[in-house]
Amino acid sequence: MPYLNHVAGFLMSKLVLDNVSKSYGPTRAFKNGDFALQSGEVHALMGTNGSGKSTLCKIIAGSVKPDTGSIFLNDCRVQINSPKDARRLGIGTFFQELSLAKNRSVAENIFISHLPLNNYVFIDKTALEMNAEYYIDMVRDVAGDDFTAKAVVGDLRADQQQLVEILKTIATEAQVLIFDEPTSALDRSQVERFFEILRKLKAQGRAIIFISHRMDEIFEISDQLTVIRDGAIVASRKREATTAQEVISLMVGEQTDLADPTSTSHDVSPISDGQFVVTAHDLTGDGFSEVSFEVRAGEILGFGGLHGQGQSAVLRALFGANAITRGQIQVAGDNYDGRTPRAAIRNGFAYVSGNRVRDGVIQGRSIFENTIPVHAFKKHMLLSTPSRLSRRAFEALNKLATKYHSLSSSIGSLSGGNQQKVVIARWLMDTPRVLLLDDPTKGIDLSAKADLFALIRELASEGLGIILYSSEDAELLNNSDRILVFNSGRAVRELSGENRTRFNLYDAAYEVAQ
Amino acid sequence: MPKMTKETMLGLAKQPVFVAIVLILALFAIGETMSPGFTSPDQIVRLLIVASLLGIVAAGQNLVILAGREGIDLSVGSVVSLAVIVAGNLMDGSNANIPQAVLLTICVGCLFGLFNGVGVTLLRIPPIVMTLGILGVIQGLLVVIRQGVPSGVAAPMLANFVSKPFLFGLPGILWLWAFLGLAMAFLLKRTVFGNRIYAIGSNENAAFMAGVPVKLVRIGVYVCSGFFAAVTGICLLGYSGASFANVGDQYMLTSIIAVVFGGTPLSGGKGEYTGTMLGAILLVILQSILTTINIDEFGRQIIFGGTLLVLMVFYGRGKGLRV
Amino acid sequence: MTVGKARSRSMSVRVRQACATFPFLPALVILAVLFILNGMFNANSVSFQGISGLFSTYLGLVFLAVGQTYVIYAGDIDLSAGAILSLVNVVIITLMNRYDGGVLSTLMIMSIGVFVGAACGLFNGLIIAGLRLQAIVASFASSIFFTGVALYVLPVAGMPAPMIYWQTYFGSIFGIPFVFFVLGVLLLLVFLLSRTQAILHLLTVGDDQQAAYQSGLPVTRIRIRGYVVCGVFASFAAFCLTGDTASGDPLVGSAMTLSSVAAAVLGGSMLSGGFGTALGSVFGALTIGLIGSLVYFVGTPASWQNLVQGLAILVALMVGILISRRT
Repeated sequence: MPYLNHVAGFLMSKLVLDNVSKSYGPTRAFKNGDFALQSGEVHALMGTNGSGKSTLCKIIAGSVKPDTGSIFLNDCRVQINSPKDARRLGIGTFFQELSLAKNRSVAENIFISHLPLNNYVFIDKTALEMNAEYYIDMVRDVAGDDFTAKAVVGDLRADQQQLVEILKTIATEAQVLIFDEPTSALDRSQVERFFEILRKLKAQGRAIIFISHRMDEIFEISDQLTVIRDGAIVASRKREATTAQEVISLMVGEQTDLADPTSTSHDVSPISDGQFVVTAHDLTGDGFSEVSFEVRAGEILGFGGLHGQGQSAVLRALFGANAITRGQIQVAGDNYDGRTPRAAIRNGFAYVSGNRVRDGVIQGRSIFENTIPVHAFKKHMLLSTPSRLSRRAFEALNKLATKYHSLSSSIGSLSGGNQQKVVIARWLMDTPRVLLLDDPTKGIDLSAKADLFALIRELASEGLGIILYSSEDAELLNNSDRILVFNSGRAVRELSGENRTRFNLYDAAYEVAQ
Repeated sequence: MPKMTKETMLGLAKQPVFVAIVLILALFAIGETMSPGFTSPDQIVRLLIVASLLGIVAAGQNLVILAGREGIDLSVGSVVSLAVIVAGNLMDGSNANIPQAVLLTICVGCLFGLFNGVGVTLLRIPPIVMTLGILGVIQGLLVVIRQGVPSGVAAPMLANFVSKPFLFGLPGILWLWAFLGLAMAFLLKRTVFGNRIYAIGSNENAAFMAGVPVKLVRIGVYVCSGFFAAVTGICLLGYSGASFANVGDQYMLTSIIAVVFGGTPLSGGKGEYTGTMLGAILLVILQSILTTINIDEFGRQIIFGGTLLVLMVFYGRGKGLRV
Repeated sequence: MTVGKARSRSMSVRVRQACATFPFLPALVILAVLFILNGMFNANSVSFQGISGLFSTYLGLVFLAVGQTYVIYAGDIDLSAGAILSLVNVVIITLMNRYDGGVLSTLMIMSIGVFVGAACGLFNGLIIAGLRLQAIVASFASSIFFTGVALYVLPVAGMPAPMIYWQTYFGSIFGIPFVFFVLGVLLLLVFLLSRTQAILHLLTVGDDQQAAYQSGLPVTRIRIRGYVVCGVFASFAAFCLTGDTASGDPLVGSAMTLSSVAAAVLGGSMLSGGFGTALGSVFGALTIGLIGSLVYFVGTPASWQNLVQGLAILVALMVGILISRRT
């Protein structure tokens, strides 16, 4: 068997990827992947967003077709042509975007691919629920009361849905388990429970791939760390043999001269004498309650705390995309009662979402068409003549150092970071009064982040009021003048001046957390 | 001349407009072999007149489909039927009545488009259901108006507009269609309304967050659809001279197929009217070949249905689940 | 907030929850209202005889709507359902006229009818799910194709059904009209199917196709199966319709296709897939039937009946969707 020579170093591994690559058109999503997974280990995959972690997982899971390379399971070459094949071969996958049917029950979702049957035809409902209970028991006390076998998945909270996907993955009882960001919506107790389960699975000799964006979790649970950068595996280390510092520098490569993501330095000085641009009092709505704050002209107010504690919900509510049930908002001293994004835009709000696929990019259309919609609305335009608008669009795009071929090329031809810049440029054709940034750097590369924050600071100095929510602590600490820490939909503490430290941020974030 | 590489050939073969042109030429060749004279200038003009009727109603369908969110207008056919009858009765064979007849008919078409648009946006009824419901209402209305008696005659001027040469030997309706083609290109490429149609068809949420009045735009496309269906009805009246029962029904699904063959997927957000025009021509040639060849009705249907299916394989095949 | 307001809100929440658990609830309410109205305007219409008359006329649509529902479960649509019905109708009529009308041969012929329906469904499934064509246009094109085949089998309408066939359909067993048994069998079938893995898989695919695929389900095969089930139900619908009209007509079903979609929507199924019940479609189809008879019984002038019926169906569709809408 010739392949054995080539992968001699990987001999006796549970799963081996040999020279696997995948391209989407001209973009290489993954190249030259040599990867080995052992039985009884938790193997963490690390890399910046878009580095190819998920592509690697999906190749193993059968939902992405590799262009080249071969996969070996138990030292036998295997073809994984579909997720079904993967399941048959004993590979179970937690998909980052969840593979759940929202209208079906928890039990049905957990067992959808291997339902217990009577006479090969009818679903054995009793067996289904009993089997489901067995898995639900694993997380019952951390999942909440409404987490039952019969509950409809679409009615559950995001963290509960994630637990369903975890149970669904475990219920495959597969020997190879892949977890692609399984903890992103879980709270601490749920994460701890999940890790207990992982340890048990590991002790049973399962081979586990684990992806998380939380460094502490990675070092807590994993045995082996493999770092992927720009679609290539750059290093693989035993956990004991490496440090967070090393892993990060491996992840970001040569770009370490840019902002160090672990620093907590304060290179910004708060401006205190500006006028209030926005005052919010006692805002209550879906996902947040009794939130009060004010933003001065020239100030960057940070929203901090753990994921999904209402930061995003408040920003969307300010912009009129989510409902506000109670509370007052004043814009530049006047009462403001905007209930739609259009009203918000008219009042000088701008909103940049990190979820550009959902909220930002108009796929399949030109960069020009993606840049002008807000301007067209503000100016009540009827015609969209490129000759008249190009110059303004150029200016807005250049402020962010956007790299593009021409205004008429499709937005799909740009990298994620540049797409996000186009979406931001949309708001800069006419300068807004208030800029709402809802985790704006999610999934964009470091240099784009640097461009963006330089611009944000510049806009603030021009007198805009800016609210920044970021899921990366360093971004928040480095760039905001004050930080409002959220917990369970409430603003629990305000950090300003010397208090803006990572310690205080987490202290406040966990203050009331269970 | 640059050398055609395999890639550019393949890329071209995936361009719906290119595919449509090739198919049109192929069908003309087939038509000519089967019945000599099929491609004579007269015959082609006659084909184009029929195609223009389909093309005009498909313009509205195209806008509705472009605007996305399962946008589709099943009521266009019945609006055409209604427009034929309303215009025919108002004209009553007199040129003097043309202006008010045209104006009123168009108002009726727009009104039903407005109903569709309001139902789809404000009441959030799925487009298939809403336009299907309106289709039922209009069919009932047709029975009421007709009362079992065929009525309504086209004004001579209208009949001439559709069938007699007007400029450079081509009838007015073809000039109208050509103008419509330019107008639609302008609307979609150079107006904010057009950009917004694409925007809500491609990513409605992003458009909403960028200040696009999503509901208004969507109502607008349905009104346009009613408008174009009414215009088609008026032209169809001129074409046939008098109103017959349910002459417009044929347009319900052929208008959708013309749009699809023109390269606009039913999911919306991309595609152009030029393609739809070619799609309409393609469909009409196919139908015309089938009527010229001497076979039984069943054979015609089988070949027509089969050919449509084969052609669809060239167009808008969905993405595979594995990428 | 006043107590009344609070109560009304919890009411609306309860209504919504009930609709989520039983998607056919709005259809059932509309059906009941129509039934009562029918009874008010014409007491005969709610008699045993009246109801069996309603069933015998609309059972065809009921079956077709149920079949359509299974396709809609998976987020697909079958615009050729009516054409399949027509094809099966002319196939069995022609065969029954060629061979004598014995019970055994009739049953044989009916199983051929089921086979034809399943074959048409398989054809649809292969081109739509297999070749990944757009369901609306592709099933429309295949409906033209099937209509062509039906015209080949029977070029003009009018070939009569054997007497034994329609006499059975309109007859009674133990004093209970035959159509009640048919409806009973249908309900049993719907109940049994609702417990099968195949139907749950259809719903899962309709819920989120990519998620279903990643869960390891054979999505394409499941969708094809949905079309086959629809084809089989279209053949059942053809049996009922043949009993009702007692003749063959190659175009009889074309008008029923869109009604079957409307019935499924009236019954609370979502056209986007993943949510609905076949039982709801039964109610939806009967609602369409009752609207027709009500319009007649309230004394609408003949020429206005279609319009009033059209308006009533539109309103029923809207009301059904508005009641059952989930946040």
